[in-house]
Amino acid sequence: MDYSELDKVRRSTTPLQLDVVESFARGRISRREFIKRGTIIGQSMASISAVIAACGGTTTSPSASTGGGASAPAGSAGASAPAASGAAGGTIRVAAQRPKGALDPVAMVDLTSYGITAQSLEFLCTLSADASDIAPGLALSWTPDSTNAVWTFKLRTGVTWHDGTPFTADDVVATMERLVTAGNSGLKGVIAAGSAVATDANTVTFTLVSPNGNFPYLVSVFNAQSLITPKAYAAGTTLDKAAAGTGPFKLTKYDVASGATFVRNDTWWGGKTPLDGVEFIFFDDTGSMVTAYQGGQIDALVQFDVLSGAPLFTDANFTVVETPTTNHRQIWMRADTGAFAKKEVRQAFALTMDRPALIQSLFKGKAVPANDHVIAPFYPYFSDTVTQRVQNIDMAKQLLATAGVTDLKVTLQYGKLNEIPDLAVLLQSQAAPAGITITPAGTDNGAFYGAQWCPDAPADPPCSGAAEFGIVDYGHRPTPDVFLNSAFKSKGVWNSSQYSSAAFDSAFSDFQKAVGVDAQKAACANIEKVLNDDVPVAIPYFYNYLSGNAKTFQGVYTSALGQMFLSSASKVG
Amino acid sequence: MTRYFSRRLVLSLITLWLLATIVFVITNMLPSDVARTILGPFAPQESVDALNQRLGTDRPLIVQYVDQIRKLVTLDFGDSFVSQRAVLPQILDAVGRSAKLAGLALLITIPISIAAGVFAATRRDRKIDRGIVLLGVTSSSIPEFITGTILVVVVGVQLKLLPVLATPPPNADVPTQIRYLLMPAVAMAIVYFGYIARMARAGTIEVLGSDYIRTATMKGLSTTQTMRRHVLRNALIPTVAVIAVQIGYLFGGIIAVEKIFNYNGMGATMLFAAQHKDLPMLTAGVIVIGIVYMVATLGADMITAWMNPRIRLDADR
Repeated sequence: MDYSELDKVRRSTTPLQLDVVESFARGRISRREFIKRGTIIGQSMASISAVIAACGGTTTSPSASTGGGASAPAGSAGASAPAASGAAGGTIRVAAQRPKGALDPVAMVDLTSYGITAQSLEFLCTLSADASDIAPGLALSWTPDSTNAVWTFKLRTGVTWHDGTPFTADDVVATMERLVTAGNSGLKGVIAAGSAVATDANTVTFTLVSPNGNFPYLVSVFNAQSLITPKAYAAGTTLDKAAAGTGPFKLTKYDVASGATFVRNDTWWGGKTPLDGVEFIFFDDTGSMVTAYQGGQIDALVQFDVLSGAPLFTDANFTVVETPTTNHRQIWMRADTGAFAKKEVRQAFALTMDRPALIQSLFKGKAVPANDHVIAPFYPYFSDTVTQRVQNIDMAKQLLATAGVTDLKVTLQYGKLNEIPDLAVLLQSQAAPAGITITPAGTDNGAFYGAQWCPDAPADPPCSGAAEFGIVDYGHRPTPDVFLNSAFKSKGVWNSSQYSSAAFDSAFSDFQKAVGVDAQKAACANIEKVLNDDVPVAIPYFYNYLSGNAKTFQGVYTSALGQMFLSSASKVG
Repeated sequence: MTRYFSRRLVLSLITLWLLATIVFVITNMLPSDVARTILGPFAPQESVDALNQRLGTDRPLIVQYVDQIRKLVTLDFGDSFVSQRAVLPQILDAVGRSAKLAGLALLITIPISIAAGVFAATRRDRKIDRGIVLLGVTSSSIPEFITGTILVVVVGVQLKLLPVLATPPPNADVPTQIRYLLMPAVAMAIVYFGYIARMARAGTIEVLGSDYIRTATMKGLSTTQTMRRHVLRNALIPTVAVIAVQIGYLFGGIIAVEKIFNYNGMGATMLFAAQHKDLPMLTAGVIVIGIVYMVATLGADMITAWMNPRIRLDADR
């Protein structure tokens, strides 16, 4: 440890940055996590490198981790410049699940819509080229004040919309106002009307409702609806009706039933993309996508499941990208009414799950067990203080007896998406020995959300018309804010279990306000404990996100939220 | 003939009106708030009410019914709830795609199956007849999704002879389009071969046993002349009726085939509309398929009347 070098950095950092530096120096966070967190809170790469060197290490692939604080040249990270090698020209054909409907950037809820809109529209913070973290997008840099309550974003200059209009801070402010009005799941309670202010044409200042150290993630690729749209976009404007964007590709055709096509945006700020265009082809199931790839009619799959996509793992001409994520399934149980209103019944059900068996059957081991809370083991603030719940049929029976429940018969609602139908059947068989009779009831996934998970009515509180028992899919988030804010906070917009807990709301509030690694970890320990005990949802696993492309293409990278970044993609040779 | 045609046309229009009425009744029986469906669960109630007012879905049912019938006459189906675009061009696109697929399937099926049926009839109870009958029964008892899947795996994936997706690239020329549509068309043709061949065989056998054919043979007409002048014209009347029904069925879209080959025809369009409560699209789809059925059966009636003068004479009386 070179204390003299370390002290130099210590003297030049803000209190928040100092906390992260100290956490790394004392071994409480990994080097990777230090780079990640340091860049998020505005620490320069030079400063990060100095700390790592002082602590006896070397920085690796700093460009891949170039986050907010470090000013990056246009196209140097994230939505990056064209690949150095590879043939120019051509179109990549991407297979994706059929989207739900029109491409409303603010209201979209499915991964395919996320992926399509992200070809034309861009985020303040995009995905780093190694797909591990956020990187400068339309924002070139971002810095918090000492309390994490005020964030200043410097925007790229020289960016234009597809129609030639200059991109300015006014577009960002108008977008944020629309997101606030729409009750965006990631930003609700974080910013309010008037929180975003254009300080000048290329600077936006966000004054948050309360301090939030993860704010850049909430205006990044990981909050899929936070795409920046033109100031002129009114609520309800859809990309397919009013094609616009600052991104590398322009939408030329969109048919919800068949696919979407894009052509290169020759005036993109990141330079000329190697590909002439992108074609999305929509499918209803992964099996058809795999067949289409084998027949040579598609080049890439945005996402596939391990069972339907089994042939791809052994295909020598296909690159499988496997990313550990916080993707998971929530088996919600209505906590306010019905068969699961008593906590003991929910705990009993959670105890029937044989998580390792589920992971092996459904993912061939490509997942990790979850513990009925959303703080995944990958998060730096994950606390291992809560004992992992394992299958215990005897205890489940005891809990049911304590609750006075005998011969429990319930219907398990689910959407037909990836492995979920198989999960429903496995849950049925695992719960049976405890005396819980489950009837799986599957519906088309597009209709499922509105019919079972969050029905139209009653609208207040949200999701109060949800079924009493069901499985819903949740995509990856680099921080748990969206999960906690939407699915568990009282009156959260995706709170299908109608869970309401003062203890949880307080713990979540503590987490949001927490400054520093130790404080966040302590807050998360409380969250884990409360959720694991109350079990408003049972969560069996966090599974790896699987995507891939034919080896005839290079430079393709994908977020775990279905956004396939193709600005650097090119044909091989 | 004109009188016959007019009567059939009036009957068809009445059928279409009944169909429209049934569709309206069924779609309005569904417990659904149209504006809420469009705007989603999180939209403010004021926006939902405003949209219902704009769409006219807050009006009394009888007013909506009269309005819908009036619009149907002008083929104004409104906008899709899902894509928020005009329904008619989307439906016409889907019908166009289904027409291509159905047309190719019929082009393959009709000549082969009629020829096989008539050939089998002329060699009744011989090995070739039994072979054709067996082939027909077997092919029509294998569902399209089995045939389609086998074709995809063998012809598309293993041999890579034909594309596994049926949608051709934009602006593809006719040979390319045929190449893309060939596998699904064959999958459909295999099933319908059995139906049509058996019908043609049965009709031909019946006619071959009739007195006037015996007379024609006795007066010295060759077998070819007898077949061409007397047998086919009478034997194929029931076959024409079957083909007309199949045309309507094929235009309506074979959902299984469209799914396997990821082809966005009428079947996939209608299924998607049903799954997403897209009532304008669903209504338009049912009506358009009804029109196709009507035109196909009307055409079959006309052909039948042309082939058999007794039918039009009966109708004219």
